[in-house]
Amino acid sequence: MENRTGARLLWQKVMLLLLYVFLWFPIGYIVYLSFARNSVWPFPPEFTLDWYERLWIMSDFHVGLVNSIVIAVGTGIIAMVLSMMAAWGLMKYRFRFKGFYVSIFLLPMFIAHILIGVSTLMFNRNVLHIQANIYSAIVANATYSISFGLLIILAQLIRYNWQLDEVASVFGAKPWRSFIEVTLPTIWPALFGAFLVSFILSFNNFDVSFYNLGATPTLPTVTWGTLRHGIEPELYALSSLIIVFVLLVLAVLYFLIRFGWVRIGIPEK
Amino acid sequence: MMRSKGRDEGSWGQLLRNRRVRIGFFVLPATAYLFVFLILPMISILIFSFWKTERYVLIPDWNVQNYVHIFTQWAYIKFLMKSVGMALFVSAACLLYGYPVAYFIAKEGGQYRLLLLMLTATPFFTGTLLRIISMQHILGPIGLLNMFLMKVGLPPIQILMYTNLSSSIGFVYLWIPFMILAVYLSLLNFDFELLEVAKICGATPFRAFWEVTWPLNWVGTVAGIVMVFIPTLADNATPLFLGGMFGKLYGNILFNQFGESGTWAMGSAMGVVLFIVSFVVIGIFGKTINLRKMGYVGG
Repeated sequence: MENRTGARLLWQKVMLLLLYVFLWFPIGYIVYLSFARNSVWPFPPEFTLDWYERLWIMSDFHVGLVNSIVIAVGTGIIAMVLSMMAAWGLMKYRFRFKGFYVSIFLLPMFIAHILIGVSTLMFNRNVLHIQANIYSAIVANATYSISFGLLIILAQLIRYNWQLDEVASVFGAKPWRSFIEVTLPTIWPALFGAFLVSFILSFNNFDVSFYNLGATPTLPTVTWGTLRHGIEPELYALSSLIIVFVLLVLAVLYFLIRFGWVRIGIPEK
Repeated sequence: MMRSKGRDEGSWGQLLRNRRVRIGFFVLPATAYLFVFLILPMISILIFSFWKTERYVLIPDWNVQNYVHIFTQWAYIKFLMKSVGMALFVSAACLLYGYPVAYFIAKEGGQYRLLLLMLTATPFFTGTLLRIISMQHILGPIGLLNMFLMKVGLPPIQILMYTNLSSSIGFVYLWIPFMILAVYLSLLNFDFELLEVAKICGATPFRAFWEVTWPLNWVGTVAGIVMVFIPTLADNATPLFLGGMFGKLYGNILFNQFGESGTWAMGSAMGVVLFIVSFVVIGIFGKTINLRKMGYVGG
């Protein structure tokens, strides 16, 4: 019996390890390629920073970067505010048709991104007669971000102590003030998490943004355009920078949670 | 001046004290947002799917020609069936590999649980396009794998060069973090003591898992399947970069309707069909969920 449990554990450890290799190796290889002079068979390695230099002077990518950040910030703010309010309403009050509201909030999870992109494009163009622009891209990206944000904030609010709120109002605090002074200090990690996930998802989004951007370039659409003429090594440099950025953000987040500086809904036992 | 302002505030305060107004204040903005920016657009493509396109312009000429076209032309049905098959296969593969991994992290991870989980989730956040390109650099004709085989004098693995198999590896690569996350979150609230009880009562470990853990965490499993199935069914970039000429899927055809060919009405109809197919599949899985039986009483 003991032996079999040991074998099972070993087997699962091997599976986990193989999964990490599977998930991380291709990404690591891209980072490696970004420093390699020859990208087809870069062995033995001959290192260079040329691709980063080229990236530095290519203006397409700069415009794309700025636009991607604008979209990501806009989407993050809309998703954070709306999903916070929705989560608060769902958790604090008992009311009829709650299931109906929840299913509306989670609906975007069940619709493929390409359908969100296509349908919002058609709606804007043929019903509202709006030319696709960076704002329509923000609006469309916020739809699925609300679902992610809601789940993150709900996970935190499940552990929220509602009596804190009562106490504040007994002492005469207006709802707005009790939110700022009592609620916010305890739940800000979830709000930040909702913002961050929406930020990263919309920053990298292609399927939704592509249809809603019109002529506005973002990093994924510039990448897409470049890929039509085959891979250019600058893309490795760009990808590596994105990878490093995402890694840094999530590493910081991990250490903040791990050492208890912030607490999120998922309890760490 | 002061008095009228005070009175205004009073009526505002009174309004806000009304419970229904307060609930509406919190819940309605997101509802309205999704209604206007998601549900209305979805309804609009349903309407456009009954129109037709002439020279890149939509014309409100009601007909069902687009649907007739989709369901009588073998090509569309073939691509749709290929996509559904691919999505089911990828979901099954992610489940088969992802479940034991999620189980291990949740049960044995101890203080490293969060780290182990984040190591599986982080690649997802680097963006789908980037990840597909990186997979192409491993599996493609001039990818690392085949270049290595060539250098050591072996023939390349034909089955991994622009085939459905390499697309499916790419899909698993893209979406397995979702599966692990969903299963992990459902196992997080699972009381593993129940397993011990089952074993004490004489169940073999496998039977204890099959009759206790698996059904009690079915919600997470279904959530994982849905989160893998939906994006795989509609994806365009993965079959393009990994599937190649003969690995085209429904998403590629759909993508072209809104790109080069500019047949908006036809594209809308294809979108509606895609939406219906994904909802039917979700519905079938959703039917199997019985919250009461799984211990979510009242929720």
